[in-house]
Amino acid sequence: MTLGALSFASPLVLLGLLALPIIWWLLRLTPPRPRQEVFPPSRILEEIAKPEETPAQSPWWLTLLRLLLAGLVVLALSEPVWNADEAQLNGDGPILLVVDDGWTSGANWNERMNAAEQTLKEASAAGRPVALVFASELGQAELATASADSLSSRLSAARALPINTHWSALGERIASADVPEFATLVWLTGGLKAPGHDVLKQALEAKVTGQVFVTQPGETALAATAINNAPNAMEVAIVRADNDAPGAGQATAYDDKGQSIATAPFSFSGTATTASAQFELPVELRNEIVRVELDNQKTAGAVQLIDERFRRRRVGLISGGNADRAQPLLSPLYYISRALQPFSDVREPETDNSIEAVDELINERISTFILADIGQLPDETTRKLEDWVTKGGMLVRFAGPRLAAASDDRLVPVSLRRGGRSLGGTLTWGEAQPLSSFEDNSPFGGIPVPDDVSVTRQVLAEPDIDLASKTWASLQDGTPLVTASQQGQGWIVLFHVTADASWSNLPLSGAFVDMLRRIVAVSNGAVTVPGQGGTASESSTDAQTETASLAPWQVLNGEGRLGAPDSEARPLQIAPGTEVVVSRETPPGFYGTSDAHVAVNLFSKDTALTALTRDDLPQGGQFLNYQKTAATEFKPWLLALAFVLLAIDCLVVLWMAGALRTRRVLSSSTAGIAVAALATASILTFTMPQSAFAQDAAIDFESALKTRLAYVKTGDDRLDAISRKGLIGLTRFISTRTSLEPGEPIGVDIANDELAFYPLLYWPISSGVSVPPAETMARIDAFMKRGGSVLFDTRDQISGGFGGARVTVETQRLREILSSLDIPPLEPVPENHVLTRAFYLLNVFPGRYLDGRLWVEASTPTEDDADRPARPGDGVSSIMITSNDMAGAWAIEADGSPSLPIVPPNPTQRVYALRTGANIVMYTLTGNYKSDQVHIPALLERLGQ
Amino acid sequence: MAVSVGTSVAPQSAHEVLARARARAALIPDMLVEAQKIANTLTSGWHGRRRRGTGDAFWQFRPYDQGESMARIDWRRTARDDAITIRDQEWEAAHTVWIWADPSPSMLYQSETASVSKQSRALVLSLAIAEVLAKSGERVGWPGLTNAMTNRDSAERIASALMVDTRAAQDNLPDAANMRSRSELVVVSDFLQPVSDILEWSEQIAKQRIRGSLVQIIDPAEERFPFSGRTEFEDPETGVRQTFGRAEGLSVDYMRLFNARKEMLANQCRKLGWNHLVHHTDTLASGALVALHGRLTGQMEVKGA
Repeated sequence: MTLGALSFASPLVLLGLLALPIIWWLLRLTPPRPRQEVFPPSRILEEIAKPEETPAQSPWWLTLLRLLLAGLVVLALSEPVWNADEAQLNGDGPILLVVDDGWTSGANWNERMNAAEQTLKEASAAGRPVALVFASELGQAELATASADSLSSRLSAARALPINTHWSALGERIASADVPEFATLVWLTGGLKAPGHDVLKQALEAKVTGQVFVTQPGETALAATAINNAPNAMEVAIVRADNDAPGAGQATAYDDKGQSIATAPFSFSGTATTASAQFELPVELRNEIVRVELDNQKTAGAVQLIDERFRRRRVGLISGGNADRAQPLLSPLYYISRALQPFSDVREPETDNSIEAVDELINERISTFILADIGQLPDETTRKLEDWVTKGGMLVRFAGPRLAAASDDRLVPVSLRRGGRSLGGTLTWGEAQPLSSFEDNSPFGGIPVPDDVSVTRQVLAEPDIDLASKTWASLQDGTPLVTASQQGQGWIVLFHVTADASWSNLPLSGAFVDMLRRIVAVSNGAVTVPGQGGTASESSTDAQTETASLAPWQVLNGEGRLGAPDSEARPLQIAPGTEVVVSRETPPGFYGTSDAHVAVNLFSKDTALTALTRDDLPQGGQFLNYQKTAATEFKPWLLALAFVLLAIDCLVVLWMAGALRTRRVLSSSTAGIAVAALATASILTFTMPQSAFAQDAAIDFESALKTRLAYVKTGDDRLDAISRKGLIGLTRFISTRTSLEPGEPIGVDIANDELAFYPLLYWPISSGVSVPPAETMARIDAFMKRGGSVLFDTRDQISGGFGGARVTVETQRLREILSSLDIPPLEPVPENHVLTRAFYLLNVFPGRYLDGRLWVEASTPTEDDADRPARPGDGVSSIMITSNDMAGAWAIEADGSPSLPIVPPNPTQRVYALRTGANIVMYTLTGNYKSDQVHIPALLERLGQ
Repeated sequence: MAVSVGTSVAPQSAHEVLARARARAALIPDMLVEAQKIANTLTSGWHGRRRRGTGDAFWQFRPYDQGESMARIDWRRTARDDAITIRDQEWEAAHTVWIWADPSPSMLYQSETASVSKQSRALVLSLAIAEVLAKSGERVGWPGLTNAMTNRDSAERIASALMVDTRAAQDNLPDAANMRSRSELVVVSDFLQPVSDILEWSEQIAKQRIRGSLVQIIDPAEERFPFSGRTEFEDPETGVRQTFGRAEGLSVDYMRLFNARKEMLANQCRKLGWNHLVHHTDTLASGALVALHGRLTGQMEVKGA
């Protein structure tokens, strides 16, 4: 049954709608059950209103809801279909179904499958045999007809392939089919011609006698054909067919995690078939791009994969003189490596021997070689370098006294005069020369010319007929500053000044960074291996010389998605000078390992797409379009809607029965009590950790805002109280004496609390406290490694006896604790340690007891430090150990009086103890700042200057 | 889980009255304890009649007026200064107070907002007032159950009588047959009886020159009518069931009628010179006890003047 575009598969079920009035009548008879209430003043109610005469009444909307529900179910069962497909084929005899499953099919694979299924369905209905052939099938079994039903499984097994199809083989296959002729041809294409079209057309014309349907998409696919990494942007070339393919679009670049980095629009002007999208990104970001995709295309042809070519390059540095390392600012390589590091891997050789260094760096597969003032190299090394440059390397040289003195140097772009010249000196003619211009067609084009660069010395090029074309940058008097020449696949670039600031201040300017960056960018582009189209070799040097076999790592599927290779994928053979052929076995994708891989793309630079026109069809052919919307079945939607209505109905019934009403007050019933108890219990369970957490967060918040001293809660209440009082006393002392005003001291639970907020942790050791577990000690270790300091106090100086021979329980305990920490070597505070002068000048560090030593990390003395008044070294000792019971001396009561007596009872000692505390706090907060800033006058005085 | 607003707290058996009486009897010890508890809070501030008259307790010294009996002069006080002083005693006179709590099934109702049923609240109130009055020497009785008696433990006696009583559970309103005139009658009930019955009964009692104090116990649900949706209401006394489609629609009319009833009861009391007290079961019993006691003693003062 059909109503316009709507048709029903089983219209008889619709008779069920006749039952709706009966359902309506039945529904009115079954009302919802009322709530039952005992109510003493019911007598009053009698006076107000008549109770319901018939209790059998559902609300009208509930009845309507249920009727709708029943109606929907009936409608769903009648299987309505919108836009049911209509039959197209007529005639009889075998049907030839040609499905193009090449790269264009990814975009509309479902439509193609629908069209093919529709054809099979019609053929099956008409009982006609069908010959199904996929364009990608090569050299398989002879083409034969089969019943339409048996082919549907083959059809559903097919998938879109990311490859170019070749129609000549297809044509031959059809021509050699053992069917005399086909009555109907259904040809599902992507609207683009493929190589060998003539053969196919002839074969089709020979074999097909009746109807010819050629189905094509409304818009033919676009292809991304090449990536060009220009100096300031990455360009993606995009090709369309010579018809009305989409005139504009957007390309998106993705990184190796599949996240989009940038998008760039592109548009075709007029009838042009090529366009380009430009990603104007910093080089660092461009290095991240592994894949550029045209949005909304969903084909393998619309994806360009990018491999190591465009990545961060390795740059090798060799300097003529290595003796300068003690003074890094004078090293010729210092400025180069600083300029290169942000966007490339800088490799410096292990050895000082420049011959070995060259070998080593070439073996590291660097792309750019920078030689700073290397004069003469051995012949063999020179040959190696020449060879390397010819294969695509970028050799950058900087002049210098050695280069100027060298003769017969082959590794220079232009021939040089010996000796060079000086400018702006006492004995020279000219002024120091500023930089004049960067050549527009050089990689430096567009860099703003800095006006503060002046060159006082340079090497001069011999005037030559092609000097101007080799010049990338020149000085104001026209002499070249940077020259370059191409050697084979590579480049030799020469800076006519030194890499350090001795000949010019160019290395100090920002333009220097830009210039090096451009050079490295050029080196990226320069190592493309010719003859491989969009395929690039992984390394500029190796891949040329031998055939490499690379396993597929990630391949594109027919829809342009990158994924693990399937079982069909074979290793890629890259032989020098041959082109990689994309096939079923080697689909586009990445080959190699995740560290080193080669990108294989479907299209290379000069691809053109040609649209299929009416002339290309066999006789009597007509174009059809894929149907965007296939038949829409309503059944699932109707059933889903019915289910939703059913759920609503259930809720309504529950609501009317009162189940959803909330109980206002605790009832006295047992159930109520049980529920309440349960709820209370669960609330307690859930709220307690939460409130604890909230409390923690509040403490952390406070601590993060305010510097405060912290002590480790040992679990011994008396000890913790003393620690707390001690830190309060110290805090008060520090607040009055120094500009630091710490917040309220806090006791921390080292097992659970966040320690990052506290610069100093006071840890009294008690004999009764066990060693914390390993996880806790790991937290302490991390705290110390991140810059926190721990002050351990064994408080046992008095009980330790004399001579240190006896080990107290506390010391024993401390040793156990420290045994699980990564503790550096310790030493008693030396005389010139920062602790002795961080705020007060101290030579003893007393607490309640006088004689215990304060131990800190041993600083390794060097000869330079020996006579300095204070030890250098930025690191604050992450551990301090005392036995003097510092907190005991600091501790004060609420009225400010000391809590514990001093041993011996000397009030000055308490002052010194507090000063020690101030020094320790200042030391942990400021490091060695005090060692050389505040006391400079006193230091100078003591040094006798 | 029960979803209704209120429940009837006692089981309804075949011998309904007996069962109810037993249930009520079971309540009584607890009620008595509680009654004594709240009565104690009241008696601690108890200061007799606050009038001079015959009695044992000292009330005041006042100057002698001519014509008064020489025997009333307090010589010891007079000897301390020049004025002749008379020692007054506080007036103490026993009144008869009849106390009655409604035992009808409707009193068994307790909604979820109330802390106790109307029944138990009524018992607590009546026993407590009995306790208070008995302690101050009034004669207290329960119509139809005990005689009026002057005893410190009258409340306990009433309670023990209530425990064994089955008959009193069927009365609708107390019978005033053996009450003498000028006695007090305290009726604690929900007064859900037909209006005409109440009016007739009160007129009859008033004719006997008995002064009534009506304590109307109301469950909060009865006053607020918190019902909505389709609801079936059952009358606990008659067992009549009525179903209403939209109970929330009734609330305005219901509350108007309920308040009108209350108002009518108040008006009738005013007309007869009686006391009318409204007590809700979601408030504390002591509040009602204080109010009730205040009304009673106030009246006694008036009468004794």
